[in-house]
Amino acid sequence: MQFDFTFIQTMWDSIPTEIQVALGRYAVALVLLVALLIITKWQHIRIGNRLIIGTVRGTIQIILMGMILVYIFNLSNIFVMFGVLTFMAIFAAHTTASNLNKIPGVFRASLPSLIVGPITVMAISVLLGVVEPVGEYVIPMGGMVIGNAMTIATLVIDRMWSNAQKQRNLIETALALGASSFQAVEETIRESIESGLLPNLNRYASLGIVSIPGLMSGMIIGGANPVVAALFQVVVFIMIFLSAVIVGLVISRIFLREMFNDRLQLTVPPTNSK
Amino acid sequence: MSNLHIIELSNVAMHFGDKILFENFNLVINQNEVVGLTGYSGSGKSTILRIIVDLITPSSGDITILGKSTADWDPRSLRRTLILVPQESQMFTGTVRDNLVWGLIRQGESIDDDALNEILHEVKLDYMNLDDDACNLSGGEKQRIAIARALVMNPKALLLDEPTSALDEKSALAVESVLNDVIQKRQIGILIVTHNKEQAHRFTSRIIELENNQESN
Repeated sequence: MQFDFTFIQTMWDSIPTEIQVALGRYAVALVLLVALLIITKWQHIRIGNRLIIGTVRGTIQIILMGMILVYIFNLSNIFVMFGVLTFMAIFAAHTTASNLNKIPGVFRASLPSLIVGPITVMAISVLLGVVEPVGEYVIPMGGMVIGNAMTIATLVIDRMWSNAQKQRNLIETALALGASSFQAVEETIRESIESGLLPNLNRYASLGIVSIPGLMSGMIIGGANPVVAALFQVVVFIMIFLSAVIVGLVISRIFLREMFNDRLQLTVPPTNSK
Repeated sequence: MSNLHIIELSNVAMHFGDKILFENFNLVINQNEVVGLTGYSGSGKSTILRIIVDLITPSSGDITILGKSTADWDPRSLRRTLILVPQESQMFTGTVRDNLVWGLIRQGESIDDDALNEILHEVKLDYMNLDDDACNLSGGEKQRIAIARALVMNPKALLLDEPTSALDEKSALAVESVLNDVIQKRQIGILIVTHNKEQAHRFTSRIIELENNQESN
């Protein structure tokens, strides 16, 4: 029996050249993955299974996402783009709630804040002409803005809750002096927003000298002028900071309802309670 | 109106699950009266103070402040009328000035440094500078700042939770001396929770024992 290889050859030829090149790189990178698996096995670093599963699952997910993006880009419809961003924000809110599953009411607070903050910033940026209303810009930039907003949301809720458990006396001292629920925890809110922004502020300060962030690197690899890429990176940082601050302020105010009741009594259980 | 009760608790009970902390507790504090509340550790003395300022809700019973049920009070107004000074005085980040005005500025009011220095004098901290870092103070100084922080707000009553229990003897005497002066100078109701009956006798006109809810003079 003779196998007809011309069928495979025809299929391969039907794939665009740029994807052929990418698949070739991917295949070579798998050699690096094998080397990584050997090293981790040898050093008893227990990440082997997760690396294999992650590679398979991640590859399928990201290819599917790539195909969806191609479809969305081709639609060239701004409402569809913002629909995708809203879906991403809902997923980010769900992820925040999953990561903080021991804290009640996180989704109730993270959903509206992650929709209000990043989507508003993206909409304003598009309206002002800072971001071109095309999918190639709106979706990746929106993804970065939403991703950073999610980090802030997680940090703010986690800090507010854990501080309420650890520093009950200080919060009740504030309440006993007639403070509102926000006034009783405003220092915690400020600190968590500041520390959530710190990694990006560091990258911002060392921009171009120590770090070339993802978007700028991507644009340069994609053939953009490095100066254009750099300016775009600054724009994205400003959008990230604005969205993060909005999310931090909104989520903290909504989440106060989970920490205090109508009588302004702290309802967070102490750390030792079951 | 002269005999208006500042604080009145009737048949107050506190349960935590099946555990009964106290039941049928009654308490009346009149204007300008200094009352001691004593009881063994864990009997619920501090809980009663927290109930009075509505930081927690009792399992049952009625609490009336200046003739009005706590449920009818705005919690923030209630806590500016009766100020609780907790057992372990917590300082907010910042200076002595920041701490003294903490409650006041959060209700949109202000006070000048002369008035603040006068209050520092009242709590015998004349040597202290308003710009000193509040977090570096000793336990006794923090306790006196906490009392001063409450006095700045001109409350109708002070609720003091074990004001000297966490302090060494010297600091405790200093706080007692401050309390004596406050009682003399300020015509306000004071409820002092203490496990130290001698201390309660030194300050108060009336002592209520939580164990059996009995009064002694």
